[in-house]
Amino acid sequence: MVISPVHYIVAPLAAAFLIPLLNKLYDDAARVVPGIVLGYLVVVSAVLVPQVLHNGPITEIIAGWRPPFGINLVMTPFSAILALLVSFMAFVIWLYGFRFRRTLKGGVVMYYEILQMMMTAGALGIILTGDLFNMFVFVEIAGITAISLAAFYRDRDGAEAGFKYMLLGSLASVFLLLGILLLYTQTHSLNMAQIAERMPAVAQGVKIMALIFLLVSLGIEAEMFPLNSWAPDAYSQAPSPTSAAFAAVLGVAAVYALARVSYTLFDAQSVSMFLMVMGFLTMFFAETAAIAQTDLKRMLAYSSMGQMGLVMVALGIGNETALFGALFLIINHAVIKALLFMTGSYFIYNNNSKRLVALNGIHKRLPYVSFLFSLGALAIIGFPPFSGFWSKFYILSGAAKRELLPLIIGILAITIVEMTYYLRVIGRIYFGKEETEPASHKPSINALVAMTSLAVIIVVLGLYPDLISGYLHKASMFLLDKQAYIQNVLSVK
Amino acid sequence: MDIYVALLILFGGALVAFFIDDLNRRWTGPVALAFALAAAVAFALTPEGQHFRLSILGFDLHWQQDAAARFFGWIVLGLTVLALIYSVKYMEGKARLGYFYAAFLMSAGGMLGVSVSRDLISFFVFWEIMTWTSFLLAIYNAYYGVETKGIKYIIFSSIGAYAMLTAIVMAGHYYHTYDIADLWQAGAFSFRNHWYIPAFLMLGFAVKAAVVPFHVWAPDVYAKTPMSFTTVFSGAMSKMGVLGLLMVLTGLYAGGGDGMFWFRWILGWLGGITAVVGTLQAIRQNDAKYLLAYSSVAQLGYIVTALATGTRLGLMAALYLAVLHAAFKGALFMVAGAVEKQAGTTDFREISGLIKRMPWTFFVALVSVISLAGVPPLGGFVGKWLLYESLITETHSYFLVIVIFFSSTAAFLYAYRFLFGLFLGQAEEEIKQVKEASWWMLLPMLVLAAVSIVTGMYPGLIFKPAADVLAGWGLPVPDWHMSILLNNWGNGVDLVTVGSTVGIVFVLVAIYITLKGRKTTKWVSTKDISTSGEIPSPQDNLTFQRGFFKPFERAIGRLYDWDANGIWEDLGAALEAFFGFVRKIYTGNAQTYALYVIVFLVILLIFGAKIFS
Repeated sequence: MVISPVHYIVAPLAAAFLIPLLNKLYDDAARVVPGIVLGYLVVVSAVLVPQVLHNGPITEIIAGWRPPFGINLVMTPFSAILALLVSFMAFVIWLYGFRFRRTLKGGVVMYYEILQMMMTAGALGIILTGDLFNMFVFVEIAGITAISLAAFYRDRDGAEAGFKYMLLGSLASVFLLLGILLLYTQTHSLNMAQIAERMPAVAQGVKIMALIFLLVSLGIEAEMFPLNSWAPDAYSQAPSPTSAAFAAVLGVAAVYALARVSYTLFDAQSVSMFLMVMGFLTMFFAETAAIAQTDLKRMLAYSSMGQMGLVMVALGIGNETALFGALFLIINHAVIKALLFMTGSYFIYNNNSKRLVALNGIHKRLPYVSFLFSLGALAIIGFPPFSGFWSKFYILSGAAKRELLPLIIGILAITIVEMTYYLRVIGRIYFGKEETEPASHKPSINALVAMTSLAVIIVVLGLYPDLISGYLHKASMFLLDKQAYIQNVLSVK
Repeated sequence: MDIYVALLILFGGALVAFFIDDLNRRWTGPVALAFALAAAVAFALTPEGQHFRLSILGFDLHWQQDAAARFFGWIVLGLTVLALIYSVKYMEGKARLGYFYAAFLMSAGGMLGVSVSRDLISFFVFWEIMTWTSFLLAIYNAYYGVETKGIKYIIFSSIGAYAMLTAIVMAGHYYHTYDIADLWQAGAFSFRNHWYIPAFLMLGFAVKAAVVPFHVWAPDVYAKTPMSFTTVFSGAMSKMGVLGLLMVLTGLYAGGGDGMFWFRWILGWLGGITAVVGTLQAIRQNDAKYLLAYSSVAQLGYIVTALATGTRLGLMAALYLAVLHAAFKGALFMVAGAVEKQAGTTDFREISGLIKRMPWTFFVALVSVISLAGVPPLGGFVGKWLLYESLITETHSYFLVIVIFFSSTAAFLYAYRFLFGLFLGQAEEEIKQVKEASWWMLLPMLVLAAVSIVTGMYPGLIFKPAADVLAGWGLPVPDWHMSILLNNWGNGVDLVTVGSTVGIVFVLVAIYITLKGRKTTKWVSTKDISTSGEIPSPQDNLTFQRGFFKPFERAIGRLYDWDANGIWEDLGAALEAFFGFVRKIYTGNAQTYALYVIVFLVILLIFGAKIFS
């Protein structure tokens, strides 16, 4: 069997449908199968990513219909790196949750695994598809499963989180569909490359309207202010591995879609200001809201929104330096935020409380987990020598290249806010006066491996960023080159 | 040996110390000390003028072993090694030793890295490593309101660091290089081209050097950090700010010397005000640690003022005082730590008369305090002399001289308070059980005291490396002699004669007093107070340690009303309140959220043509 980008979508979807059957044959199938599938996807990435980076994009035709007629998958360097990131993170998250959920018996585990697999499939589909309507389908798959996961625990809070997410998520779908519809009426195509090619002929007014619908819709998914209000509840109520997946899988896909629409379908110049301003506002409101939180997972959720805002700012700055920073930040955010959710949920598991106050002095009970959490917190603030520093430095350098001094100062001022609440938590963990002494749940070995590997990535990328910088440069160059994308897709025979 | 070896040893040592604590808590301190010693040896073996270049992400990192790197590197490593010797006993039995020593060594590594970095990227990276590791140490002593005090340090540091970062990325954009020597050549630090680059850099360094109005983080942090690290914190880390300011000044000179106004007047006066503020606050402290902390702020003020003159004598004074401050303030913080360890507190109101119990500690305190006060024949005097001479004869800033003179005279008050409060006066019964500190602690203290004594007679020992630093960076270098101070009128003072005379007299008097005191001193209890039959009311002051400088405080009371700390805290509280208000945007109501989306869409549709033109 030849390895091709289709496997990214087919394998997890097939696994999701087969899990109920397999579970009849073997009790633990629901827990084992996703690991095999995701592990396979990591291998697929390991094969495909170097190929894409050396030989250029792969365009995969589905069912023999050549573009622009059929649905096609396009694996550009940019999407290849994100596909690798998503499949790797999904694998690590699976590993982390492997024994965590033995406490939940029976079907619940199975449903969780199915939903998680489908969400991963949806996210990978968004990243790989070259067809706008196909993208809509994948956004729906990812969105609906994410909503179900947010409401996974069937209690009042879970239902509320799910309802909020559903309300905004359905608005997102409607607007996305409207935007696609508008583009289809004008360009008579759903293929992104062809739409991009025909875009100059479209009337300015319709173009902008379509753009607005797409931006608002994808803005909801990518947690743009003021459309991101679903996020705190959803992150906070979802099962812990899912919170990590929201940041590391869904968030990555959403940002990819935003970047693809802004850079390929439309003109990056015209969206630049909008993305910078909205990204900055997202950062501002998210980080200031985070400082006032009393709940660990909500705090991390707001922090996620802040990071997404910074990614948007970087996409808005739009030069190669800033895009490099954006891509690096997407990777950092996925890895670090996943680590924070993973370690944070062990705190919550031990305390039976999500409240920050309950973290006081927890390092005595969970020394290694506390160490990893602190590492993640320092990294996400952007302290050298961790990887978070380089992404922030590149984004700032990109802003400096456009001489956006106020933006630089603004980003750094907000970083100080971010630093404040993360360091308060570190202070609590190490020096807070303990109030209660509940039973201790030590992390299981698979969770330890998962968390440690993420921490190692943070440190290694911080000390030796050149490990990936070549790939990131190529990817960010390619994102900027709209014509190359169009030609690559349309020249497929 | 290559320049990175010392750095690798320090950072590697941090990892080892962190994990060895789980194996055996008694090894942690000695192991950390061994790594620091190894790093010092490696640093000593690194030949002068060696370069190390490394390319990360296309940035050329450049480290160099030159006179400046040696000068500041030895302040860092010297204090680190001494403080780690001290820590072996001082930290004995405390919790989280692995955490403490790991952060200590990383912080030292960060400072050493700052000293050797000759490009702004590695400079910033090491600067931040030094900052966050020292934050971890600043919150070490229990959870003393990390919410406000501990976090204040990191917030101020970050304001400074991010101002630097802004300057760095802008400099990188305009001059396409991050190498400091190239930036000097290109005139990047000149106020004529892009004024905010030198200004933002100076802001960053001024915060680290605790210059008014960014000094408010310093007292709490210096006083609350374990004393063995405060030694390094106040002695070495604040000097990184001095190093940075010197770097900017070099750039100003290289760029043609414009912008000296900013340096000489703004920074000079800020330094002077810092000295006064620090001194006045130190006088009214009742805790030895806080007294020393404010005194550190004041001393840094002198150094900044000296540096700000930008003249040959002033620069020499700044570098000289930087070393001396590291020596005597390091020793004094160790004294405070020793008293805390042996007697349980450093509060003047609870402790007195330790001289008999801790004579060696007292000797160190005496020498260091004399050096701090700038009285001949000890080292501190030479620095003060140079500072006054540069202000009077070179920049003619007579008002500034008055300010500095006021501050250093008032410093006698707190210097005396420190000595008297802890060591003199009558000993209470409780004090009788106190023992002298361990030799592990005394040895580094005596070494630092010896620095003050030796430099009092041979200041040339520091003049030489300092002159190398200035010459190496193309700054004006004054004439200097090993042990003779020349003034502008051609008179010279031989410091060896002065020093040995005073020393001999001191020893003779000390012997006489000790012998005489054995026979004739009569001891009465401090509790033996006659009130002539009246019962004292609770308001009556029965111990001499309360309201020690009340008349002085009354005389200048108005000055104390200007509390910078209060202003910053109000600002912080106001910001938090504002953030609390802002977060109400997330109401938790799903209908509101849907409304946001619709309204946002409508606004975009209305103004879309303008926004996306």
